Order: sequence, then C-alpha cells, then structure tokens
Amino acid sequence: MDDIDAMFSDMLQEMDLLTQSLGAEEESAPLPKPPSIPDPQQMNFSIGFTDFNASLHDLEDNDLDALMADLVADISATEEKFATEQDTLKGSAPVAPIPSQPQDNFSLPASTDTSRHATSSNSIAAPPPPPASKPSKEELEEQIKADKIKLALEKLKEAKVKKLVVKVEIMDGSSKTLMVDERQTVRDVIDNLFEKTHCDCNVDWCVCETNPDLQTERGFEDHENLVEPLSTWTRDTENKVLFQEKKDKYDVFRNPQNFYLWKKDKKSLKDMKEKDKEQLLEENFCGASVIVPDLEGVLYLKEDGKKSWKQRYFLLRASGLYYSPKGKTKASRDLVCLVQFDNVNVYYCKEYRIKYKAPTDHCFILKHPQIQKESQYIKYLCCDDEWTMTLWVTGIRIAKYGKQLYDNYKAAVRKAAGSATWANRSLQASSSASTPSPTPKARAANGHAPQPAVETKGSSNQTSFPPPPPSMETLPPPPPDPMMPPPPPAPPSATKVNKFPPPPQFPQSSFPPPPMDDLPPPPPPPEDSELPPDFLPPPPPIFSSCGGEALPPPPPDPIASLPPPPPAPQNFASAGGAPPPPAPPPPPPAPAPAANKPAGSIRKVAPPPPKRTTPQLAAPSGGDLMSELMTAMQKKRTQ
Amino acid sequence: MAAWDLTVTVEDLGPDAPPLQISVASDLHIGGVILKLVEQTNLKKDWSDHALWWEQKQQWLLRTGWTLDKCGVHADARLVFTPQHKPLRLGLPNGATLKMRACFSSSAFRTVMGICRVLNLRHPEELSLLRPVDEKKKKKDKDSSEELYDLTDVPLTAGSVQALYNGMPAHFADSPKTEAVYKMLSVSLPSSAPEAIAKLYRPASVVDKTHIHTRWLDSSRSLMQQGIQENDKLWLRFKYYTFHDMDPKYDAVRLTQLYEQARWAILLEDIDCTEEEMMLFGALQYHIGKLSLSQDMVSSCQGMDDLESALKSLEVKMVGDSNSTDMLESMTAPELNDYLKIFRPKRLTLKGYKQYWCKFQDTSISYYKSKEDRYGEPIQQLNLKGCEVAPDVNVAGQKFCIKLLIPAPEGMNEIYLRCENEKQYSQWMAACKLASKGLTLLDISYQSEVKNIQTFLSMQRSNSAAPAAQTDDSINTHSLVSPRYQKKYKPKQLTPRILEAYQNVAQLSLTSAILKFLQIWQALPDFGISYFMVRFKGSRKDEVLGIANNRLIRIDLGIGDVVKTWRYNNMRQWNVNWDIRQVAIEFDGNINIAFSCVNADCKVVHEYIGGYIFMSTRSRQQSDTLNEELFHKLTGGHEAL
Repeated sequence: MDDIDAMFSDMLQEMDLLTQSLGAEEESAPLPKPPSIPDPQQMNFSIGFTDFNASLHDLEDNDLDALMADLVADISATEEKFATEQDTLKGSAPVAPIPSQPQDNFSLPASTDTSRHATSSNSIAAPPPPPASKPSKEELEEQIKADKIKLALEKLKEAKVKKLVVKVEIMDGSSKTLMVDERQTVRDVIDNLFEKTHCDCNVDWCVCETNPDLQTERGFEDHENLVEPLSTWTRDTENKVLFQEKKDKYDVFRNPQNFYLWKKDKKSLKDMKEKDKEQLLEENFCGASVIVPDLEGVLYLKEDGKKSWKQRYFLLRASGLYYSPKGKTKASRDLVCLVQFDNVNVYYCKEYRIKYKAPTDHCFILKHPQIQKESQYIKYLCCDDEWTMTLWVTGIRIAKYGKQLYDNYKAAVRKAAGSATWANRSLQASSSASTPSPTPKARAANGHAPQPAVETKGSSNQTSFPPPPPSMETLPPPPPDPMMPPPPPAPPSATKVNKFPPPPQFPQSSFPPPPMDDLPPPPPPPEDSELPPDFLPPPPPIFSSCGGEALPPPPPDPIASLPPPPPAPQNFASAGGAPPPPAPPPPPPAPAPAANKPAGSIRKVAPPPPKRTTPQLAAPSGGDLMSELMTAMQKKRTQ
Repeated sequence: MAAWDLTVTVEDLGPDAPPLQISVASDLHIGGVILKLVEQTNLKKDWSDHALWWEQKQQWLLRTGWTLDKCGVHADARLVFTPQHKPLRLGLPNGATLKMRACFSSSAFRTVMGICRVLNLRHPEELSLLRPVDEKKKKKDKDSSEELYDLTDVPLTAGSVQALYNGMPAHFADSPKTEAVYKMLSVSLPSSAPEAIAKLYRPASVVDKTHIHTRWLDSSRSLMQQGIQENDKLWLRFKYYTFHDMDPKYDAVRLTQLYEQARWAILLEDIDCTEEEMMLFGALQYHIGKLSLSQDMVSSCQGMDDLESALKSLEVKMVGDSNSTDMLESMTAPELNDYLKIFRPKRLTLKGYKQYWCKFQDTSISYYKSKEDRYGEPIQQLNLKGCEVAPDVNVAGQKFCIKLLIPAPEGMNEIYLRCENEKQYSQWMAACKLASKGLTLLDISYQSEVKNIQTFLSMQRSNSAAPAAQTDDSINTHSLVSPRYQKKYKPKQLTPRILEAYQNVAQLSLTSAILKFLQIWQALPDFGISYFMVRFKGSRKDEVLGIANNRLIRIDLGIGDVVKTWRYNNMRQWNVNWDIRQVAIEFDGNINIAFSCVNADCKVVHEYIGGYIFMSTRSRQQSDTLNEELFHKLTGGHEAL
C-alpha cells in the first residue's frame, strides 16, 4: 500500500507540474485533487485489489510496459498540446477528450462515481443543495451504513467481472484504447467510442474484428458482448479490433427490398416508397417468426481439405444453409444441409483468389468463432460478385440473429438521432464559451452545455430543477478522457490485457486539453475546508447512493464534503464570481470533481457529458486501474 | 285478399308426419305464418330457434316482418319449419371429432364465429369450414372407430366475454364430460401410430395440394344453402395463415389447435421441410407430447388451470427433485468423477478407446491416467464452453458415447467419451450439454436434463425390445416424422437423430415449445401458401397460383418453379367476372392479370385474396371487435371493389 501511495503522490505531483506548466493561471487551478483523492482511491483498491494484482501478474511485461508507455505518451502529448494549444483551448476545452490519461485517472474516478450516484440518488439528494435542509445525523449515519453495504455488495459483484483493455483502430489510422468489461455489449462500446472519436455517430459505425491469418473480417452485432469473442483469441494473435463505418451493417433495414425482393429487377426497387419498405420490414421482422430472404443460387464451395472449388446450388433457410445435390430437385426433402447457424458466425474474406485459389475475391466463410486458423471445420464459399456476397452474408445474419438484428437497428437509429442533437448542442455551448477569461456567463455555458444559461440564473432556479437527475442519464460521466478506458474500480478477477503498442494516442491532442482551463484557481485543500457547512448535509445522501464505486464511504467527514458537490459548486460559483450554473445537467457530473477540485473544474467537466450517452459504462474509475497497474509493475520490477 | 293453402313440413312432428296445411293470405308476414303453424301443431315447446326454410329456392325466410308476397312465396312453395341450430360433427385440427350445435341459417362466417365462441377460440375470422376429404369411402369404418366428443348440450351463449371457472370457460365446467372436451381442445393429443399416419391421405404434388381448396365453404352463405345437413361432418381449420395477436394466456385452445394443424401439415407432407427441420419438429413433438402428459397429472387435481400455472408447478416439482440442497450442504462445487474411455480420432491412427480417470468440474473435463493420479496434473483439460455435443448411442448395442467437438483456434477437436451404462451416460451427457452453454453442474436444470436423457434412452430401449408395446413414456419415434422419413430410417437410426435435436429444446416449457414449433413452421419457405389450379388469360396450360398473406405467386407446373410474384401492396383492384368466372387483378404500373380457376370455385380464390386483405387491416387496438361488414365487403364478391 505504501508503494501505491508513493506512486500516487508521484503521479499527482507530476500532474501538478503539468498543469502548472500549462500556465493558464487565470482559468485553471491546477488539478486540485492531490490531497483529497488519495483517500478514495485507497479505498478502492483495498477491495479486491489482490485479485486484480494477481491478474496483472499474468500479463506479460511488455503488456504492462505498453500500457504504461501509453499513459506516459499521453502525458507528454498533453503537455505538448497544452503548450501549443493553450490559447485556443481556454473555454471550450471541456468538450474535447481529455488527453492526459493520468488526469483522467485521478479526476475521473471521483467524478464518475459521484455522477453515477447522483443519478441513482438524485431523487433524494439531487435536489437543490441550497435549501440546506439537513437530514438528522442518525439518518445520515444510517444512510451511510446502508450505502456501505451496498458498496460492498457491488464491489463483490464487480470483482468477478472480467475486463479487457482493448485497442481499437480507427479508420484514420489512429487508435483508442478502452477497457471493456464482460457485461458491456458492442452497442455500449460503440457509444463509448462515439464519445471518444467525435465521429458523426451514424448507424453504420461498427466494431469489427479482423484475422490476418484467415484474412477475414466480421462486424460484431450490437447485442453481442465484446469480451467473450475477444477472449478466445490466441495469445500471440495479430487480430485487430477496428472501428469503422460499414454500409452493409444495416442496409437490409434501409433497403429491405434489395434483400427481400432481390429477384425483381433493380430499377423497380430503386424508387420504392418508404411506406412499402416499412411494410416489408413489418412482414418479415415483426411476425411470430422472422422471415429469412429466400436466397438461392449458385455459389462455389471449397471442398473439404482440397484446393478445388465446386459449384453448387445453394438455398438459404431459417434452419441453415443448404445445397441441392447433383441430379436432385430443389425440393426441401432433397436438400443437403451444409451448416446450421447455431455455432458458427459468418465472416467476409479478403483476397482469397490468391490465398485459396478461389474463383473470385468475393468470399465468405462460416466458422466457429473460436477457430482462428485454417481448418477443415471452416466452410469456404465464394460468390460471383460483391453484391451476391453481401446478400448471402446478410441473409445468414438474419437467419442467425433474427429479430434481434432489427432491434439493434432500431436502437442504433434512436442513438444516432439522440447523439446528433447532443453534438449540436455541445458544439454551440463550446463555441459560446470560447472566451478564455471565464466570465460568469461563459463558464455557465461551458458547464451546462446542453442547457443554455438562460434557464438558470439564480440558485433558486437550480433548486427548482433537479438538474442532476435528468442530465445524468444522457450526460454520463465525466467526459474528459477519451482515451481512458473506463477502468472499473473493482479489480477483475481475471483481467486480460490485449495491449498493443501504445501508438497513436495523439489524435487526442487535436482536441483541446480539457480540464485545465476552466478550473477555478482555488487550491483544492482549502476548498474542502472552506466548504460551508450547509453544503455538507446534502452530500451525504448523494454519497450514499453513489456509494457504489469509487467513493469509499469510510471517512464520513471528508466524504461528506465530496458528495455535496452539486450544491457546492453552485455556491462556489456564485461566491467565487462564477455564474450560478444554470444547467441542471452539469451538477451531476460536477459533483465529484467539485469535491476534489475547485468549482471551476466542474464546469469544464460538464460540457462533455451531453455527448455521452452511456454513462455507466464509462464510469469505472480510471484511478483504480492506473494505481493497480503501477503497483503491479513495481512489483514485477522489484522481483 | 284471397286465402290459399301453404304447405309446411314441421320437422318436430317426426319424419313420417304429413306436412301441415295452413291457410294464409299473401299479405301475411312470416311471423304470422309461424304463429299459425305453432298453434296448429299443438306442441308445447320452445320454438324460438325455429325458422322457415324454403326448399326449392334453398333459402331461409328469416325476416319475420316481410310478407309472403314480398318473399315471393306462393302456393307451390314447400317450406320446412326447422331449427336454425343443428348438431354438426366438427373435425378439429387435432383430428378429433366434436359434435356440437352450429347455426345453419346465418352466413358460414357467423357460424364459425359462434363455434369459435363455444370452443373459446379467439379470432374466428382466421378459421373456416370445409368439407372433409373422401368421407364416403371411409364412412363405414370411421363411424365405428371414431371417438366422439359431444358438446351438443352446451347452449350457444351470446355474450363474448365468458367467466372462467377452474381455468376454463364456465360452460365447460358443467360436467366431467365437458371438462374432458376442454382438455381435448386445449392439450395436444398423443401422437398417432405411424401406421395410422401412413394411411392418411397425403398430397403427393402441388396439384394435389390444390384440391383441398375446392372444399372450403362459402363464407357469405349459410350452411343449409350449401347443402350441409344435420349431423354432417365438416372440418374446422385455420384458413388464413396470419395469426393475429397470439397470446398464450388467452389462447390455450387456439394455440393447441394451431399447433395440431401445423403438426399434421408436417406429418402429412402438406408442407415440405428438410431433414434437419423434420428432426427438430420431431423432437419438439416428443417434448410437447411428454409435457402434455405430465400436465394432465398436475391439472387433474385442480381442474384445468391455464397452461402457465400448471407449468409453474411442474417447474417447482423439478427443482424440488434436484439435490441442490445436498450440494449446498456440502458446500463443495459438484463434480463428476469416473473412469471413462476416451477416443480421439486422428488420421492415420488406429488407436481405439483408452480408459482414463475423468473429472468433470465447472465446465471442464480433466483426465488422468488413473484414479491415483488425480491430484497431479491432468493429461489434458478440456474446456467444453462453446463446444458441440452430440450423442452417439445405441441402447441395444450398449453403446453410450458422447461426441464432443471442442473449438480451438486450429479448428475443432473431436473427442469421444464412452460411458459404461445409461446412468453414467446421462449424467455426463447432461453435464457436457450444460457446459457447452457455459453452465455448471450447479445449475438447477442439471437434474432435469439428466432425467430427460434417461427417458429418451428408455424410449429407445422399449422400441428395440418390443416395438409394438407402447407405454405412456415411450412413443415410437416413427410417429414423430412424416412417412417419407419413416421409410428412410429405421427407428434405431431415427432415435439418435431426434435425440440430438431434442438436446436443444429439452429445456423449453410447454408453451414455449409450442410457440417454437409454430415459429419454425412459419419460417419454412413454403409456409402459408394456398395453391389453386388456374389458367391464366392467354395461356394454354394449367398453372398453379399460390396465395399467401402478402403476395400472389405464379408457379409453373412443369418445373415447379416460381415464375412471378405480385405483392398485395402493389395491387390496385381485383374483381370477378361471375359470368365467365374469371378473376381479374390490376397492379401498379398497369400490370393486369386475369385467370380462371380450374378446379376450385373462383369465389374461393376471391375470398382468399379479400380475406388476406381483411386480415391485414386488423390492428392491435381493435382486436376485440371484428369488422364483419368489412369482411363481407372484401370477400363477398357482389360488387367489384
């Protein structure tokens, strides 16, 4: 533990230096956290730490090194960024992903946690801090106790959750590293990536895996869990996870006629009315059972264990892929089943003309997901042209996943629509905030990006809006760290790090360095002490609800000061000259940071939230991961 | 006005009684005629259901306010005074015959509504009546063998909402006899003997499949008008393959009957499926049959509860059976430990099975050279998560093998485990099965899985030992598949295949199993297509027109290929030229088709198309109210649309 502390303070000091070097004195109080943070974090790892540690030991040195290198790279990247971009950043910073991981680690845990809590608790605590109605002490204590229990339970659960650090390559050549736990669906991961990449969030974005051995690529379906397929990769794999737009991912729902009426001539299908499309979807996806496109036609099948490809007449049915043997009719009873879809996935292949002497390069294979190398258990198929291939692959996906696919699509559409509006809003907000010197107004804007200052002028307003809750849902946790994976606080019993070289995390650099600008100057420690007593009461409730993750309940007093953030920030703001944050939204995220940091910091945090759609996922505190990693590394080295 | 004599036969006076002559005038209304008639019979009874049937014109005189003149009745008319509701022998989708009263005077559509109300079937618009096949030939043996359920004493109630009593509509709770009828309706019947299935009529071609559609009754005319007599037999079937708002909670009878209809369609090769699909259908039938039997026992004590609660108690029973409590007591993770023979087929090796000490823990099998080595490092550990498990069993030959295909990066590892006996096999097999899904021996389904495997094995045993004798538990697997597969496979070959498919469905509850069966049925490519032999205008040969819920399909008889499909949502209008009996349809883009029907009445085709369009107008909100008027408008064919 001592080691850890030492590591921490080291890190924190580094951070301090960093922030100070940034120099934007006016705007930024350097991250205030140092003093206050350590406690919570300690708490965190005390739970389940050994597990995580153990699992880290399993990692190869270079994995750890790589991860570390990443982090360091991030720091330096931020430094550079700050140096160069200081001027520009100022107000708007928050929106951008926070470049420096270390910061994230520290700041995140607190902020995320609180925000989460806030959500859950908002009914209780969220309300306006100002009212200063203090719960009786007993109540508080009880609350705290209950929260502790909750926390403990949650930690227990969390400890069993498997997590992976995944490097995701993005089309532009950059990559993002994020932590994915086994409960997360691909949808969650995509949402996460949306926040980190600021892409257009359309429904075509897709997380894919590639296998260079087999030269395959497959887009994960949104409902799949990412960890499971990834954990079947071999240790020395060169497989990659890509984040890219795939037109064919949901094409069947945009143009169902091309798949369901593929026999008709293309012209008549082109200008099909939306209404007719909808009806097609209704007919095929909304009945008691999903209707699979009635695909049939000649495909080439690579013969088992041979190099030759044979033409066969294939038919797709809900129950599997069939072909009609030579000399037989297409009647169902004569069909031979090539494969059923329960245990296999379908993969696009590249350049099979060379690799396997396929008749064309439009090939797909069907294989068990765990098979990673050439095998007789893989079914190789080849189509005449690309469209035919898309048709069959999509058909097979429909047969395999059925209605789930349609549900995924609808969810994706909703998501895309939602994020589009958020993106717009945050853009506006950031632009308005562009002035470096934090005038009250500007600050407010930053903080509450989504909801312009107009609404809230006085604290009284705030009280009326229970801002935290609403914002919470849409605005997840602290936006800042694009890079930082949402490292879950609890150490996974079995963590596997699929780490790749630290590479290009720089893309981030393009984003304004987040936090610093807004940070109010007040030195952190003082703040805590300064917190008016009034505020204290509110916090406890919040805290309790939040209790879950990062904020350890133990030291009631300090904690108390932490939780209250929502109210506190506002007060501070007003007190410090900062405009009362109008936006209810910011409060939630803010709370945590507030505790640790000056009120100013809160604001900056706020802006990003809008984008985040899925807070919880991101939530896990970065701090844990970092600290644990460091200890693990240290131990390794000392050994 | 001059009085004249009207001849009326009153059925209630007996078959030999002479017709009554009553003196009437042309301006006497029908109600008056009936009044006179009743007075003259001197019989005291409830005449309220009686009405006048005009024999020569084959029509009912139901409007009591109309005068004889207006109805066109003159002295030469021979009228019959007869009840409107008469007993009918109804062939149900499940093959049972039910005797019940049905209305002979209203449109067949209404009659079906009435029948469905009694049977507690929702959405009667999806069903209709048709004349049975080959009734005459088989009449002799059928009458003797046929088991008749009788509901004739049950009055037809007018109210649509019926109180439930003991989980069934109140009118079924009257007597044990009617309770038995409800059970027959709502619980799937045991499979028939394979010989019986083989004897039933099966369509051998698409042309054969067109014949059934020549037999549908006209929905807009009454049963009497269509020549149906008292005590005649009619089939009640789902006619439109679009099942609105299916809800297991309210649709016990509907679901069961639909399942039965689907099952028979598959067994009688009315709809084609592949071998793999047939095996799955077979497995589901077996599972449903078994659960239905056990449901009987549960429900016999507490009346017929609805499916769900019955299932729940079943579940509780199963959980209670498992020795999960033991497991908890010992607080150790359960394991299986035993000597098994392992065989890994490899090319170019002739090694056979070798015995190892095997330990099953969590989702893995570890094996050791011997029991003594079990604390050391295993020779190998196999993680079964995600693997494929297949049985390789021959009870007669005492062969109990489990074939495992374990995925690995390089491909699948094939491994056979050979067990000594049924007990060992069922335990290990169940464990493998669960492990492949990522579940451990701790899972509550383990014990029931073991049991399922045992019952299935015992089924195979009794088959091979005494094929003729059938106990409740065991059924001949031949009765689960269509005659084609009965011929293709011996029971010995068939059972393992069905067993294999069965592994995947054994955990389903009764309702989910039925729903799954229907789902697979509805996903068949040929599902829901009704075939008609037609001749297209301008064509010289007969072709087949397939009518489905969303499209029309033109099929070439020669090659059996789909030539063209037209979707209803492109349809502008359709109409029938009754003089030349031709159906003409216009689609978007000036596409016009016209055809005449070769063997069915073109009214049936017309009604089918209109019916499907009607079905598509139903929406979730108004599911309770049936727009009868619209139905007749769409299917009646009296005016072009």
